[in-house]
Amino acid sequence: MTATVLVPNVVSPVVVGLFLPAVFTGITVGLIGLLAISYQKNDLHALILTDIVGIGMLIIVASVGTDLAESLVLPGLVVELAEIMAISEILMSREIRKQGKSVELFPLPLNLDMEVLTTAPVFFAVILVAYGAFLSGFTGGAIAGGGILFYVISRIARGVPSNTWEGLAGASGIAWCLWLVGFLIFFVAPDYWLLALFLSAFGVFIKVTFKASLVGVMGREEFKKE
Amino acid sequence: MDISILGGPILGIIPLGDIVLYFTPFNLFMFAAALAFTALIAISSTESQVEAEFGTLKNREVKVDKAEFKLRRFLAIVCGLATAGAMVTGDLFDFTLFVTLIGIVNIGIVAAVKEIDVLDAAFQYGLIAMIGTLPLFGGAALVLAATGTISLLQIVQIPYTTSLMAFGSILFFLGVAGETGVAPFFATKAEMFRTPGSPFLLIIHLSSLLVIVRTIEILLIINKPF
Repeated sequence: MTATVLVPNVVSPVVVGLFLPAVFTGITVGLIGLLAISYQKNDLHALILTDIVGIGMLIIVASVGTDLAESLVLPGLVVELAEIMAISEILMSREIRKQGKSVELFPLPLNLDMEVLTTAPVFFAVILVAYGAFLSGFTGGAIAGGGILFYVISRIARGVPSNTWEGLAGASGIAWCLWLVGFLIFFVAPDYWLLALFLSAFGVFIKVTFKASLVGVMGREEFKKE
Repeated sequence: MDISILGGPILGIIPLGDIVLYFTPFNLFMFAAALAFTALIAISSTESQVEAEFGTLKNREVKVDKAEFKLRRFLAIVCGLATAGAMVTGDLFDFTLFVTLIGIVNIGIVAAVKEIDVLDAAFQYGLIAMIGTLPLFGGAALVLAATGTISLLQIVQIPYTTSLMAFGSILFFLGVAGETGVAPFFATKAEMFRTPGSPFLLIIHLSSLLVIVRTIEILLIINKPF
């Protein structure tokens, strides 16, 4: 096959051999998802099953495994998330409109009372924040922020002490300054590159973490009502 | 085969690092058409329609309120700019991103009409667009895997066509069809009800038409049938 000619010799043949199985896996996942959607009459289930098709897309793109493919994975993931959020907003606003109520911009009509909402969030948040701190940098910040965001969203129904999040907003700004100082040191005093590296890495880590959790500040408007 | 066979002589290229834009009369014409239509939309105001009331001889005027009008005009302008960008980009990756941006914005334009039936159409279109990301990104990734590049100027210099390239490009076309090609069918639902402010929906038709034409050019560049 001519496509494998392009692969440099340092890549082991096992990894190269994984390409076609991965592509077929992705297409099979997509077909299974489509089959399930065709049987499904419930709109919400169809939406969730559509996400499975999106995961098939990620498998295919990830199977290529070069840096150009990585540049396709990130937008693919973002597009997937953006579309599923937009469609679920449409679904919610349609259902609320069917009942004859007015629709808010950020509809949260949930009043869930499940045990998993009290036990799981702390566990997941701690694991994600610890793993994010281990990774550091932008990726770690995104993961840790996802952990905090998960905690906040699952606690919104129960009410979180709202003034906590304003402090987080301030800390995010200070962390951003650390990041800038780190970059400045890179150019002004390159001898201290290690200090600059750590300032930048952990600055952007804290910054991204708190930025994601700032959604909690927006959510505050919601739990004030309750 | 040369790019100039399809679109006329190359008038110039803009090298932005590894992303190279190229201009042919074909691309420039579609680019100018998209931009001109976007400018028309930016200065236009929505029509306010007059409905005959049932059972009486009175008429009723239906208007769009200012917030919704601004939102829809903004989405329509973004859609027009993304279409214009997709016309001149010389990079499969950029083209993919522009197409997904058009898809997301189209969902927003259709969903801005707050009627249950139109929201239903927007929901269905959103599902199709999400499913469409699988062949879209998957096709782009397979073309990348088969050729080692996603720059069209590089792909056109490859003298042969492998079966993986053909398969990837067919998947890519399916993805474009799912992302923007089917959009007019769902937009028609909003038009059939003659919802106030429906002129903004026209950008969906224009972008769908132009993107499909450009996709066919890209397919010919990848597969080189001549």
